[in-house]
Amino acid sequence: MDIFTLSLWIITIIWFVVSIIKDKNKTTNSIKMSSGLMRNIIGEIIGILFLIGLLLTLIPPDIIKQYLGGANVLLSTIIGAFVGSITLIPAFVAFPLVGSLVNAGASITPVVAFLTTLTMVGIVTFPLERREFGLKFALTRNLLSFGFAVIIALLMGVII
Amino acid sequence: MSTVIKKIKNNMFLTFVIFIYVFLLIFMPDKGIKSFNNSLYYVKEMLTIMPVILLLTSLIEAWVPKKTIENALGEGSGAKGFIFSFLLGSFSAGPIYAAFPVCKMLIKKGASLANIIIILSAWAVIKIPMLANEAKFLGPNFMALRWILTTISIILMAIITSKIVKKEDIPMKDISNKEDDVLSVDENFCIGCGLCTNVAPEHFIMQNKKAKMSTMILKTEESDKIKFAIDKCPAKAIKYI
Repeated sequence: MDIFTLSLWIITIIWFVVSIIKDKNKTTNSIKMSSGLMRNIIGEIIGILFLIGLLLTLIPPDIIKQYLGGANVLLSTIIGAFVGSITLIPAFVAFPLVGSLVNAGASITPVVAFLTTLTMVGIVTFPLERREFGLKFALTRNLLSFGFAVIIALLMGVII
Repeated sequence: MSTVIKKIKNNMFLTFVIFIYVFLLIFMPDKGIKSFNNSLYYVKEMLTIMPVILLLTSLIEAWVPKKTIENALGEGSGAKGFIFSFLLGSFSAGPIYAAFPVCKMLIKKGASLANIIIILSAWAVIKIPMLANEAKFLGPNFMALRWILTTISIILMAIITSKIVKKEDIPMKDISNKEDDVLSVDENFCIGCGLCTNVAPEHFIMQNKKAKMSTMILKTEESDKIKFAIDKCPAKAIKYI
């Protein structure tokens, strides 16, 4: 286990013990709630993890490098942002997927665009958002999020 | 038999992946085994981080005083409002659509639109347990840099949006307070966490990963348990209509 994960474990376990001592009921209730959330996406998590193995085995690293690490950064970034906008997978499982692509030679920029729009822009959830907040709000928020996702991605590509 | 079909229907994606594996193991067994071994590394990594993220999410849910935060988001709440909005979004559980009813409720309570944009965006991208997962698979530097850039972007977006969109543009018709209103769970927003079925199993049941009312409850019949469930629902999906 790396130092980051280890320290997260230590902090969380200390907090957990304090929490149990202070209010056992409250603690178990919220654990039940988040396990419920987790149970709903566990199928997708397992699916993605095993899809990663398939991708790494069946798609040669050269192809990944060519398409996601290639010369035309702006185009691949906009495509990344667009794919993120229409995809509906929990961000939780997107990180290992994206991590495996980066390890296989994909460049950072399109990957960041994908990660950011995946969670912030929602074409699938757009009708819901419009119903609750009106067209003007939903459109403004989603367009701005898309634009900023591309900017964040390009900046990260330059810095890292 | 029907439960098997239901399981498959609920897990289409997983079924699809299993199907590819079966196909590979029959026609190209060496590739199938190699894929499986490649995946095992990621499964192992996931297992070291998933329980701690689950625990962390629960602890945040239990101890972060959301009510105090929610009451400090009005117009003219300034930098303090911005920071509180960031905290509220970062410490919440569930996908972004679960934030819609929560934010709608906050608008009704008087929160400014700039703060609402911050909550929605922070809820989407910078949740604390997600940051842990990101650092795990992409490295702490990657996570920290993306966090900084995203935070700056969110503030800019909040300022721009509050110049373009006004409160009058937000539909506000579903406020209802009659005595014969019936309690119901909005399926669009329910994230299926099962909290209400734990708190009041006599009134709520789970069906296809969504909570439903099993009995009819009028506003006048509200009990403490139901009140608690409405209050604690992380998506604010339980309401009278």
